Amino acid sequence: MRRAWVFTLLVCALQGGGQAEPSLEAFFEQNCIECHGPEKQKGKVRLDLGVEELFANDDLPETVVAVLEAGEMPPEDAPQPEADSRKGALDLLAQRILANRPANPLKRLTRAEYRNTIYDLFGVDFDFTDLLPPDQVEHGFDKFGESHLMSPHQVVAYLRTARFVAERLLPETRPETRAWEFDVRHFHGSKNFATMGGGDYREGDDYVLTGFRPYRSNLHFSVDPESHEQFVIPAFGVYRLEVKARSEKSKEAEVIGINLGDGRHPTSFRNIRRIPMPHGSGGFTTELVLKAGDQLAFTFDSARVPGRSLEKKPHKGPTMRFSHVKVTGPLTEQWPSAAMEAVLPKRKMRPAALVDHIASLLTQRPLVGEDRKAFIEIARSQEKSGASMTATARSVLIALLTSPHFIYKSESPELTGVELAHRLSYFLWNSVPDAELLEAGRSGELAKDSSAQVERMLADAKTDRFVEDFTRQWLQLDKVDDFGPDVRVYKNVRRMTVDSMGREGGELFAHLLENDLSMECFIDSDFVMVNDRLARFYELPPVKGDGFVPVKLPEDSERGGLIAQAGFLKLTSTDFATSPIHRGSWILKNLYNEKIDPPADVVINEPDIRGATTIREAILKHQQEESCARCHSKIDPLGFALEYYDPVGRKRSEYRHVEELPAEEEETVFTKKIEFTVVPIEATMELPNGLEVRDLPTLKAALMADKERILRGIIGKLIGYGLGRDTTLADRPYIDAVYRASEARNYSLRAAIEAIVAHPEFGRK
Amino acid sequence: MSPNPNHEPLGQSPRRAGMPRRTFLKGAGVALLLPRFESLGQVAEQPQRRMLTIVNHLSFYQPKLIPKADGAFEEAPPLLANLSDHFAHLKMYSGLNNPAVQNGFGHTPCVGILSGYYNKLHRKNRISIDQAVADQLGDETRFRSLVFQAGENLNFSQISWDQHGLPVHQIDSPRKIFNLLFQVNENEKQQQQILAEDRSILDAVLAQAKFMEKRLNATDREKMDEYLSSVRDAEKTVRKQAHWSGRPKPKVDYRLEDFDRKSVDDYVATLLDLAVLALETDSTRAVTVQIPFWEGFKEPELTGNYHDLSHHGQQKEKIEKLLKLEHGILKRISAALTTMKERKAGSTSLFDQTTTLLTASMGSANAHNFDDLPALVFDARMRSPGHRRRKDVPMSNLYLGLLQQFGAEQEHFGESNGAFDLLA
Repeated sequence: MRRAWVFTLLVCALQGGGQAEPSLEAFFEQNCIECHGPEKQKGKVRLDLGVEELFANDDLPETVVAVLEAGEMPPEDAPQPEADSRKGALDLLAQRILANRPANPLKRLTRAEYRNTIYDLFGVDFDFTDLLPPDQVEHGFDKFGESHLMSPHQVVAYLRTARFVAERLLPETRPETRAWEFDVRHFHGSKNFATMGGGDYREGDDYVLTGFRPYRSNLHFSVDPESHEQFVIPAFGVYRLEVKARSEKSKEAEVIGINLGDGRHPTSFRNIRRIPMPHGSGGFTTELVLKAGDQLAFTFDSARVPGRSLEKKPHKGPTMRFSHVKVTGPLTEQWPSAAMEAVLPKRKMRPAALVDHIASLLTQRPLVGEDRKAFIEIARSQEKSGASMTATARSVLIALLTSPHFIYKSESPELTGVELAHRLSYFLWNSVPDAELLEAGRSGELAKDSSAQVERMLADAKTDRFVEDFTRQWLQLDKVDDFGPDVRVYKNVRRMTVDSMGREGGELFAHLLENDLSMECFIDSDFVMVNDRLARFYELPPVKGDGFVPVKLPEDSERGGLIAQAGFLKLTSTDFATSPIHRGSWILKNLYNEKIDPPADVVINEPDIRGATTIREAILKHQQEESCARCHSKIDPLGFALEYYDPVGRKRSEYRHVEELPAEEEETVFTKKIEFTVVPIEATMELPNGLEVRDLPTLKAALMADKERILRGIIGKLIGYGLGRDTTLADRPYIDAVYRASEARNYSLRAAIEAIVAHPEFGRK
Repeated sequence: MSPNPNHEPLGQSPRRAGMPRRTFLKGAGVALLLPRFESLGQVAEQPQRRMLTIVNHLSFYQPKLIPKADGAFEEAPPLLANLSDHFAHLKMYSGLNNPAVQNGFGHTPCVGILSGYYNKLHRKNRISIDQAVADQLGDETRFRSLVFQAGENLNFSQISWDQHGLPVHQIDSPRKIFNLLFQVNENEKQQQQILAEDRSILDAVLAQAKFMEKRLNATDREKMDEYLSSVRDAEKTVRKQAHWSGRPKPKVDYRLEDFDRKSVDDYVATLLDLAVLALETDSTRAVTVQIPFWEGFKEPELTGNYHDLSHHGQQKEKIEKLLKLEHGILKRISAALTTMKERKAGSTSLFDQTTTLLTASMGSANAHNFDDLPALVFDARMRSPGHRRRKDVPMSNLYLGLLQQFGAEQEHFGESNGAFDLLA
């Protein structure tokens, strides 16, 4: 790939490279091989070895096309081929590229797909975080078969997960439902003696969370009032939580977090749910799937966190007071459970019938011929050993959940109706198809006209999973909180504000999709999607509650569009400093769908561009190096125009360079102080096309002027996600068709998705 | 809670002395409660060989590490001086290259450091030296090898690869490592039953995969091959688990205190403690330790995190902070080697039986270059210790030499074009 080789690609110096030649070899000979031939191989690229050799490389042909099209190669100071000659070479390259459909290697279920699939099949929402390894994403999406490594460890993880699932779906006996009640006598928090009452404390019938020490403060509870031994969930199942809690000294909605982990070591907490508490709320009831050994703890997530500095003063801000917690479970609404009836519809089943039933339950496809044998053998030997029908079904279920029949997605060169239903379903629902979609697949109706099914699917709440999964990976929103805002510098940025920033991108996507709005809103819009906290953060008219709503922007606001979102601005920064390079390359990678990497043969000696007075000089130095300038002339102006936004995404008019001073001791307490120096911002730069950008509005205007390329980039991202492979130049006709269909409907995101599914390419492997 | 006498806190502030930090097991440290090797029937005649591999991804600041001249360590630069107790057994190479590990972005090529190879396009690798040595060391221990991850979920810290070029599971927290090594398993009987069933399930999925493979095209068949070989290896693992699940784990008097996850010094010390314990209890004979480097990894008293400081941009102030961290890491490594000298395993010390390799996946983390690599080999049998500059010689030559020391007969490893005589 890698546009970036572009840096040093194809320097040419031969004179008179003007005549249009009919072969690529001749074009390279004339224009390129002085620098990319036997003598020099700038960027580790050689173009003198023949066309076959060139196309043996997966990415190089694309790079060559990209740099020729953009006029990046031959470099400015070298003689240029004539337009005809360049076009001729491009046509020849395009022919070859279009003839090679990109491979779409076998894909396995991602962790998210696995979870949703099990949920949709059996109605139990398992959490596989501790069981299945996370999916690796190097670029693109975790759905790409290309990046799916298999290892013995992965296989063992599938086996363990399958056993976990099967044992819990098919228990031998009906689990006994129990209830536990806890009140202030059983409650524990995180006391903070050093701050004289700053920590959590008991008061009357309440236990009070202050959130004063944000990474400690939490409420957990023990069965025995005398002991601090935390309550442990005894068995897997659905548990109902009834909690009496209310906020105090607060005029607004608050948020309580439910976490798993040891309350005495809250740094290991895993947040599993956030409960919005409207103003005046007296508590909440919720249901959770928990497993044996889980420990529950509540946190006051919307606390006004005054920071980690350990000042000696009692807490004054809002608190969350807990008075009663009731835990009931595991709940069984019917017995045998729905899942048991689904796996074992009859009390008695012959081995072969059992295997066939479970196999098609899992994937809606039969196991063919010999593939069944070994599984039937498992059922038969269980039967022989006198195992119960439930135990037999359990073994078969474990085996099938571990097998390639379930783990891998089956895709024929031309997808069958069922396979097409699966592809569509894993695209828009991130899960298995339902009965209606399968029927449409089987009958052939789906292949003929997908529009009715797409419309039905997009109206279903399961679409939220696609929105979440796609936008999280596309926009890297899970990285928003990689660097916590340093509370000494960013005093008013609270945990829940950062949490809301991470949701804004997905909310915008969902809003466009639901209301048939234009993808141009990703570049700029006259409204933003905000909740209460984000509205306050953006200084907009107040919004009530934790849910996101569209708010029209005032005339003078610069917000609107993805690159004006605080989440993007924050995730591309470190705790104290913005990174123009990171921001610029984010725009190129995620909006333009460009593939940029540093060149292969360049030593990156990144000048330190943080703070201080030398930012601009450092960057300019960067641009002077020929090998860097190719990409950085594109990256840097995009990033620099955003310098008026600080590391948490707030407007600023100057840099505040932060220096931490050595820790000082005051009695028993250490306080780290920081020192600020103020430096002016100079953001004005020229884009490669000569357009000057100097701030966010001019940058958005420049991007809007380039909207066709950006919208094609976004369409490429969607196609990649839907097909489970990276898009290449060979997908141009596909992207073109989708772009035109969307253009005809005012660049509607919905129209783009409909066109992606309707295109014949969507029905091919 | 007294501070460890061998442990000087980083960024030492005398005021902090006596602050509770982490309870260390020190001096005599770890006492084994079970007779050590007798139970495994080991005879002292031919001492068992072991291998400890330590990789520091962010490398070291080489101007303060590499001696100016070749030969004996006479004037050791300050970083190297931390290891002076072990100079008699140390051979240090500098300037090594890793020619097949050049392509890629950021830290990604680091995944090829121990293999001397990295195929970015196919995200496949070749066997890494720690695993190749583990294969030589046999399969008599509870774990064939133990590989520690450099922190949590960093995919470029996958440095251990098996003979199929597939990733070897790396363990990402000291707690998990400790539990794996020493935690008592409570329901053994049930475990045995499950393992038996696991084996028949793996047989069944293997059979299905084989039939399914016949229907696939060439690209997909490659994917299915990965699955097949993974299942075969998983089967072996399960079989071995069944064998070991009947035997008690060793007992050690080591308490894994709540160390500071964010402290370079605490974390490294804990990892090395566990590495030495794993070797000492003969739980495994090959341990691979990676020095963590994720963004939050820092030293509480020092401004800036480790990764950030490694991008020092030649700023003096940052280099000084970085050096503080590196001194700390090397002190910890030196202390671990000293501990190994103190621990007896049969008639010789653990150090006598162990070859230790310390290397880095980049020459300089500031430049992100994958050449100019340092490699330090500690071995009690070292005949002429000292520094050897080997400019642009493949790192794989060292690996091949190492592998031959462990009895392998092969003539190639990674991109080798020769073999170092390590113990000369």
